[in-house]
Amino acid sequence: MAVTKEILALAVETGDALLRNGAEVYRVEDTVMHILDAYEIENYDVYVLSNGIFASANEDRDDSCSMVRHVPLGSTHLGRIAALNELSREICSHECSLQDAWVRLDHCKSIPCNRDIVQFFFCGLGSASFGYLFGGNLTDAVSAFAAGTLLQIFLNFLSRRKTSKFTKNILGSALVTMISLLAYSMEPGIQYDKVIIGAIMPLVPGIALTTSIRDLFNGDYLSGTIHMIDAVLTAFCIAVGVGAVITLYRMGGAI
Amino acid sequence: MLLQLLICMIATISFAILFTAPKSELIFCGLAGTLGWFFYLICIDQGAGKPVANLVASFALTVFSRAIASMRKNPVTVYLIAGIFPLVPGAGIYNMSFYFIMNEMELCSAAGMETIKVAGAIVLGIIFGFTLPQGWFNAIPKWKKHR
Repeated sequence: MAVTKEILALAVETGDALLRNGAEVYRVEDTVMHILDAYEIENYDVYVLSNGIFASANEDRDDSCSMVRHVPLGSTHLGRIAALNELSREICSHECSLQDAWVRLDHCKSIPCNRDIVQFFFCGLGSASFGYLFGGNLTDAVSAFAAGTLLQIFLNFLSRRKTSKFTKNILGSALVTMISLLAYSMEPGIQYDKVIIGAIMPLVPGIALTTSIRDLFNGDYLSGTIHMIDAVLTAFCIAVGVGAVITLYRMGGAI
Repeated sequence: MLLQLLICMIATISFAILFTAPKSELIFCGLAGTLGWFFYLICIDQGAGKPVANLVASFALTVFSRAIASMRKNPVTVYLIAGIFPLVPGAGIYNMSFYFIMNEMELCSAAGMETIKVAGAIVLGIIFGFTLPQGWFNAIPKWKKHR
């Protein structure tokens, strides 16, 4: 009797983990359904939104069961998505019993993020490369490296305090702009715009935009709209952060 | 141009690491980004406007990501998200807010329109890339096995 419940719980929990780590709605829905199919549940309904999962199984039987999950928009962890995908693939080819699947699922969910220092370095490196790519020279790239590294340190610091996304984006882009203008006032040869553009790249809503398009394309208009609004608001926050600091500097007469 | 592509690869891989892509896939994420940027540069070089270049680049990127995804048995998202970053109009957002602050409304709206156009072009490129039937991509691993 409890089996339906357990299977549905596994499927929904997998979907939850996928969604939490930034998979698109279509993939989540597909995965949940495939897992239910694999464990031979015939009668089910699954509805996934970008921040929630609704599922029910065997509604016409005694052991009917339904579940609702709320999944807040989170940060992206591609490694976990890939691992969960692998897991669902194995479940579908019946290589994985229900108990094993739970163990594997827990394992997938606990794949760690990169260490802080690695994040700092690569955020800096990415910012520097983008600064260079968008027309900066070597000095700009070095400044963008510093700005990017500090940005990631700052973002990690804010995440620990559970700061809202808006605050993070506004303060983050303001910080980047401040560092770039500071570098400019010390070394006037620096093209501060290139430094700023490079170092705001980690904040720019590329993922939200991509996910939103894919959701819209798959016909999940509601989820697509949610991500699109997320992307637009993020872009707006970045503009506010950059704009505010530049205005202040202009009032101070530094540019 | 070669240097640009190399730097683009470093940039994409850095961002892939930032989003904790699996280590074995990093090089492919880098390749996806580089390919997109390559097509972007070629189009710009041929005198195409930014939106068209972004359309072509994101189309190529999407197709490449899907092919790699079915070859490596991983979700497309892993490659697509990392690869899209060089194309995303970060510079447009910056220019728009900068001109807005400088009270140069004409330049501001021009930059804003261009940002929207570029974002729209990326959207279309990805959509075109996804309209190709999945069957073609599923055939790649089989074809590889045959050889």
